[in-house]
Amino acid sequence: MSSGCPPQSPAVAKCEVAVEGECPLLAATFAYWDNILGPRVRHIWAPKGDQLMFLSDGEVTFLANHTLNGEILRSAECGAVDVKFFVLAEKGVIIVSLIFDGELKGDKNTCALSIILPQTELAFYLPLHTICVERLKHVIRKGRIWMQKGYNIISVLSLEIVPIMELLASMKSHSVSEDIDIRDTVLHDDDIGDSCHEDFLHKAVSSHLQTCGCSIVVGSNPEKVNKIVRTLCLFLTPAERKCSRLCRADSSFTYDTGLFVQGLLKDSTGSFVLPFRQVLYSPYPTTHIDVDINTVKQMPPCHEHMYNQRRYMRSELNTLWKTDSEEDIPPDTVIHTDETFTPDLNIFQDVMHNDTLVKSFIDEVFMLKPGLSLRSTYLAQFLLLLHRKALTLLKYIEDETQKGKKPFRSLRSLKTDLDLTVEGDLNIVMAFAEKLRAGLHSFVFGKPFYTSMQERDVLMTL
Amino acid sequence: MIGSPDVVAFTKEDEFGQNNPDPWSIPEEFSIPLHPLADSNPWAKTSYAKFTKDFILISEFSEQVGPQPLLTIPDDPKVCGTFDLNYFSLRIMSVDYQASFVGHPPGSGYPRLSFVEDSRVVLGDSKEGAFAYIHHLTLYDLEARGFVRPFCMAYVSADERKIMLQFQELSLRFSQASECLKAGNRRAFAKELQRKLQDLEYTHSVLQREEGLQREAGPQCMYSAHAVEKANELANVEKSIYEHRDLLRQISCYHCRPRRDPHAVTCQNYTDKGRKREDVQSPTDDGGGGKGAEEDEDEGIKRRSSYTPQLIKARSAKCFDKRLKTLQELCDEPFYEATMELLKETERSFRGDLCYLHTRRMDKALRRRQRITNFLFEEDLGDEDEDEGGMLRPFCAVNHDLDNYTILNPPPIVLGPEPVELDPLEPPDPLDPASETSHTQESELVLEEGNLDSSPSDQTLETQESSEETKGSFSSDKSGTGLAEKQQSLASVRSELPDPDSDLTPDADHNTDLERESSSEDMDITAGEDEGDNGGDQTPVSLLEVVSELEASMEDDCERRSGIESDLLVPIDTACCMAQEGFLYEASAPEAASHLDQSSHHQSSQTLVVNQEPQSLLPLQNDYAVGSLCSESPAAGLELPVGLLGDAVSRTTAEDGSDCTMSASTGSDRAASPLGYGGVVTLRQRKRAGHVALRFVRQYPFAIQALWCLLSGRTLVVLGADEGRVRRLVAALALFVPGPGKCGERVQAWLSCPFTLTDLKRWKLIGLQRVASPVGSSMLYSLSRYSRYISILDADQKTLRCPPYRGQLLANIADHRTYIRRGSTYFLHVQSTLCRLAAKAFLFTFTHHLHLPVSSTEGPEVVEGRRRCFLQEQLGLGEEDSQILLYLSQLVTQQYLQPPAGNSAVAPCFSFNYTTSVLYKI
Repeated sequence: MSSGCPPQSPAVAKCEVAVEGECPLLAATFAYWDNILGPRVRHIWAPKGDQLMFLSDGEVTFLANHTLNGEILRSAECGAVDVKFFVLAEKGVIIVSLIFDGELKGDKNTCALSIILPQTELAFYLPLHTICVERLKHVIRKGRIWMQKGYNIISVLSLEIVPIMELLASMKSHSVSEDIDIRDTVLHDDDIGDSCHEDFLHKAVSSHLQTCGCSIVVGSNPEKVNKIVRTLCLFLTPAERKCSRLCRADSSFTYDTGLFVQGLLKDSTGSFVLPFRQVLYSPYPTTHIDVDINTVKQMPPCHEHMYNQRRYMRSELNTLWKTDSEEDIPPDTVIHTDETFTPDLNIFQDVMHNDTLVKSFIDEVFMLKPGLSLRSTYLAQFLLLLHRKALTLLKYIEDETQKGKKPFRSLRSLKTDLDLTVEGDLNIVMAFAEKLRAGLHSFVFGKPFYTSMQERDVLMTL
Repeated sequence: MIGSPDVVAFTKEDEFGQNNPDPWSIPEEFSIPLHPLADSNPWAKTSYAKFTKDFILISEFSEQVGPQPLLTIPDDPKVCGTFDLNYFSLRIMSVDYQASFVGHPPGSGYPRLSFVEDSRVVLGDSKEGAFAYIHHLTLYDLEARGFVRPFCMAYVSADERKIMLQFQELSLRFSQASECLKAGNRRAFAKELQRKLQDLEYTHSVLQREEGLQREAGPQCMYSAHAVEKANELANVEKSIYEHRDLLRQISCYHCRPRRDPHAVTCQNYTDKGRKREDVQSPTDDGGGGKGAEEDEDEGIKRRSSYTPQLIKARSAKCFDKRLKTLQELCDEPFYEATMELLKETERSFRGDLCYLHTRRMDKALRRRQRITNFLFEEDLGDEDEDEGGMLRPFCAVNHDLDNYTILNPPPIVLGPEPVELDPLEPPDPLDPASETSHTQESELVLEEGNLDSSPSDQTLETQESSEETKGSFSSDKSGTGLAEKQQSLASVRSELPDPDSDLTPDADHNTDLERESSSEDMDITAGEDEGDNGGDQTPVSLLEVVSELEASMEDDCERRSGIESDLLVPIDTACCMAQEGFLYEASAPEAASHLDQSSHHQSSQTLVVNQEPQSLLPLQNDYAVGSLCSESPAAGLELPVGLLGDAVSRTTAEDGSDCTMSASTGSDRAASPLGYGGVVTLRQRKRAGHVALRFVRQYPFAIQALWCLLSGRTLVVLGADEGRVRRLVAALALFVPGPGKCGERVQAWLSCPFTLTDLKRWKLIGLQRVASPVGSSMLYSLSRYSRYISILDADQKTLRCPPYRGQLLANIADHRTYIRRGSTYFLHVQSTLCRLAAKAFLFTFTHHLHLPVSSTEGPEVVEGRRRCFLQEQLGLGEEDSQILLYLSQLVTQQYLQPPAGNSAVAPCFSFNYTTSVLYKI
């Protein structure tokens, strides 16, 4: 290589992804900092078909290269994934870049996985930012292992880039509106039980709130499913509603990790297969609602869910680490087990804890005349109450523990003082508080390997 | 049945897995932690940042020294701690995408300014624990390389989520600041260009004269080297003049450029003065028109300023010899000041923990949807529409399509000094009292705001309040002002300043806060009037008429009223309310008589018969009046009541009440209580009152009785010799007074003369001075005379005389064994409980079937029975608890049917109870 010629620029590979519907994503790129050539783009993914805005490959490359601007100064810990978010009005685009380190050709390089959207989609994208970033972060973890082994990272990254394109396309057409008309929900019924059984509605809403507003609604009738989806979304914040999806009438979407409420249509055989891994990777436990048979099941509470999730993630990464061949990327459908860990596949359980908060609300709201704003107002009062209770609980724990410096040992007093002696009520308020202060469940309920029943036994003895 | 989690699997790893790690297992750097830090302490996520709280950093990419920090907001070294601002500036300046080409583009003889859009970036340094929203912008400087100076303004926080969740709001705020700064910079740049042009023209004329002299002096056909040099110099100067003129033309055409940023904001101009200037000469005639032309007009004025041109020497300064202008010098002073003010405001509004910011905004949004019951226990929402539009929505990170974005209500950028009489080129005369005053006012306001901060951070700050709280001192803090108030104040100050720059163009899509507030006020008032009129017109002559009218035209009423209400009030069917009221009349009248006979409880519902509530006659108080004294506030209770009490027994005349016109004292300890002086009680004050309330609950086992009295509408008199103590107690108990009024009109914090029956209707909580004098004996006489209507809490003797309460509804907020440690936490707890009570009252009030006869044969007794049954069986309330709901429901009904004009509180129902009072002691 002493010819004096500059090193040849690596070619930029590009693949077009067929996505159903209008995909707001312009491109996804993988770039890295070449120690000789500087920032280089290695791969471009672009949705096939018409797009909202056209970016030439040159423009995409220009943008992607610049995501690594300033990263020569990067001093992050090994394995850290940093997120950069650009809104470039001059170019009319927004770029989300995940910066990480990885080994390429024996050298440690700074890499960037980016997605590019038109700036006009900023409002659409922002609520979904966390979902996209968390999913990309995990695939980067997998990609780093692949790079470490000297394999091509692109095949691993494609495992998540394509689903994210599909997610964004589906959200473009089927996301729940921020402003839900109460007339499209069960709460507009003349009387309780008109659309669905009284106890079913109570259970569904209660469990939905206990699982931090994260639910999947399955059924054979899309209208029925969507009515419940909208009803559950009434209890979410506007931002969370924008992260919820209605079911498609003709064919079902696949389950997407991270959405708050999603409607899913059963197939012709009357069944819907939930991917274990994806459900487990949801940031919050999920409530499973079947509108055909009026059943409500829920996953274990937050701290257990997070523990299970991390265990499984570690197991998945471990499996990947032990993979011997580049061709053997374990598919997502495989349940990872090893000698130290066997995941419990029965993650959905019956709703164990009744509450009084939702029960009385559901009972009472139907006493108010429909068609006016009475029920909306009453709903707002109910939500205000829950938000305030959550804040009070948070503040109570904050006071007791000196902002987490001391362990929390007075759950019983908390229940009495804050009128949360009914388990369901406590779960609901704790779920609200968890969204405000992530990790609260683990902190309050002690060591994460306790199950709910054990934890209560332990805590009641305090 | 799906099984429970596999406990064995969980414990296995802890026993074996970690003790015997698999040598082939994945290294930790490729895996994820099983127990992240957030699990062990959810409050410690941001603890590894080297700075103590969020701040704003302005940095520059200097052509001489590279990236450098310029200033921070707040300007306190403690805030940044050991955080390396130089390094962080380098980091944030190295991500700028702005490729602002300046120079000679092909085919153009002159340097071309490139108007680039700002770029926005969020990035983080995970190792430093610092994350930032960065707003890149370019300013123009005639002496800078390529005429551009790249800057950035960054909001630095330890919480990445806080930045991303509030991205749009941050973007909006920083865009406003940036536009303001750039507008001032363009003005300064144009000013500099004009001076340079004047210098060049002057130099040109000098050179021309010199050349002419040389030409005349020398031979006709020969040029000396000196003459050639002069000619070249002249040519260079001419070229430079053309270039500078072109630059001036370009900067004047700034507004004509197409905007590429769909989220761009514009500086707004609320005065038209700038446009009315005449006799201006535009430096360009390129048809810039519109805004550009307006700016040119300014330039025309500027060119005639009193600047003395100077001769420019041919030698140009070397790059590193010259001193680059500071940011302040690059920008016109008023614009710079306004920018700094906007940034300070931004820093204030984002201060505090995300969790509290989020809840506060959610709280506000939800309360806006229940305006009907807000008056009961909630602090006044005011007209802070900016919060709804500008704060909450971006925070929620939803629905930010372009249309919505334009709805966002930015703080008004009404900037600049007024140059109509003055030369706009000249800086504001420091000796000019007008400009001095306006600036002083603004700066004073800023200072005041700094001191009076009631920003969201209060909530988090209060978590560190233990030592302060345990001392138990409750001092009045009349200083707290809301955000809207601050903005309004600032806007009002600024609006006095005329428009200095025609590039501050009005934007129809961006309404000002002032406009918004005034319009929403108008709407509210209109709504109130409409409602009042309706209510007035329909005030029944007799109770029977009410019933018949209601039966006949209930449906019509529904339709008509819902039509009238339209968007102004929550469209709620009034039929139930009216019907209820009707049946209340129907039921109450005979019941009242019977109850009088039976000495049982009677909830008076005759407030609608009262011609006018005294307070409703009072002039509107300023929503944002802070610290106004009682003497200015008729609501403080010094006005004579002129209405008639519904209670025939206690019918009084205006004269009866005259003896209390001198009743309020001017005690030295007035500052101890914010109540009763016409000032808006702030959230901060309410929280502080929460601390005293918690002590009261802990100290007095009979606190629950006192709270019940207040919540059920029975006037509570706090008797004591120590004014400060009584005031504190009253301020604390005022938390439990339903519908206290925006300025606490229903509370008299300190009274030093006997009260009358009229006062009992007006005040639901009274602090009464105990004096050992003839006046004191007459006061005691009034106490005993009206004892059947009131409860008496003796702060000195620590006793309470009131009817017994045996309910459960209040047990949770009045448990003296509570483990709640802090007043602010207790306040939150009380807030939730009262919120629940308000919701139940709403439900009870607007549940139609309770208040309407199912059939024509059904009598009022049946309806009344149904109501009682609902309270007891559906809501599970006992007799005393029902009284609370009934009272609250009455207030809601009254508020809805006859909303008080302006800001005065809803007229309270006067209720009394013949149940024997009991004396409680500690």
